[in-house]
Amino acid sequence: MNLHVWWDPPTDGPTNMAADELLADEAQRRGDCCLRLYGWTPTTVSLGGFQRGADAEAEPAIAGVPVVRRPSGGGAIVHGSDLTYAAAVPRVHPWGGGPQAFYDAVHEALCAALAGFGVEASPWRPPATPPPAPGRDEGPFFCFDRRASGDVVVGAAASPDGRGHKVLGSAQRRLAATVLQHGSLLLARNQDVSGAASHPGLAELAPGGLAPTAVPALAERWLGLIAEGLGMRLVWEPGRFHERPGVAERATRFADARWTFRR
Amino acid sequence: MTAAMRFAKSHEWARPEGDGLVTVGISAYAVEALTDLVFMQLPEVGRRVKAGDSLGEIESVKAVSDVYAPISGEVVAVNAGLPGALETLGRDPYGDGWMVRIRPDSPAELDTLLDEVAYAALLKSQPH
Repeated sequence: MNLHVWWDPPTDGPTNMAADELLADEAQRRGDCCLRLYGWTPTTVSLGGFQRGADAEAEPAIAGVPVVRRPSGGGAIVHGSDLTYAAAVPRVHPWGGGPQAFYDAVHEALCAALAGFGVEASPWRPPATPPPAPGRDEGPFFCFDRRASGDVVVGAAASPDGRGHKVLGSAQRRLAATVLQHGSLLLARNQDVSGAASHPGLAELAPGGLAPTAVPALAERWLGLIAEGLGMRLVWEPGRFHERPGVAERATRFADARWTFRR
Repeated sequence: MTAAMRFAKSHEWARPEGDGLVTVGISAYAVEALTDLVFMQLPEVGRRVKAGDSLGEIESVKAVSDVYAPISGEVVAVNAGLPGALETLGRDPYGDGWMVRIRPDSPAELDTLLDEVAYAALLKSQPH
């Protein structure tokens, strides 16, 4: 099995979401794992698939920032100073079972890659308490204020509550034939927002910081470890995935306020 | 489960009832795989669906999953209390955890689904 990778330049939210939807189709067509790395411009908030649009409108820290709704779950993310990935696998792939295996594979690979850059990161694990009842409150609005098992955190050992600073969180959309997983690696604090929307990234948390010029090498190491983990061949694909035919047409749905604020 | 129950490869079950309706839910495997359910959205009564259409969505801590219609027909009832009592899905996925009742366009469509033995074989081949 191959891991096909595209690295697209930053673009707007609706185009990114449409490209990711098409990426799931691509994974189904190829019967392989397909992964897209990308950035966002302008700074954009993506809502989790079940979050309420009214909650975004009521959050003063993101007033005036464009909002898009992801097909995947989880909390709201302020994009613009992060590196986002979308990875799609057929449901028959070993990562196509329960969500945790796919989640852990990508996150543990990042922890190993970060170690090579002098950053001590670890997958967060919940304390050994009874599981919460289903249907509980969804938690904080912003993804980086939430903790789910496997989230990559930095500085957990030094933080009084063990929560550390979350630098990578992921969530999935489980379709009939494929699983689409989204994740956001927070590279630096986003200067376009403040207050509750502002979270430190690797540039602030890594000892000595993490220079923007180091990001390509980090990403390549990360993807290499993801591929190694399952014995996949890493294939860098030419061209820009988000410029493929069909993306612009699909993007109109993600740009439509009726979709973004449907909940 | 009953002998007449059928399963879709996407892990929904369908059970024909004596009144001509078909009750639909998701399998115990699907509930366990999702873990930590948070939200559910069910369709409106009266909606027409084709087999394979999305009937609704379930969100767990890490994932949003579609629930697909195993057969074509009209949604004539929904388990309106279920989104507020998601623990029912884990406790009784084939009973109180039912999601919708469908008046099928063609009862014979059930024959295209998997029986319990075939579904058990499918689960053995699933990644964990």
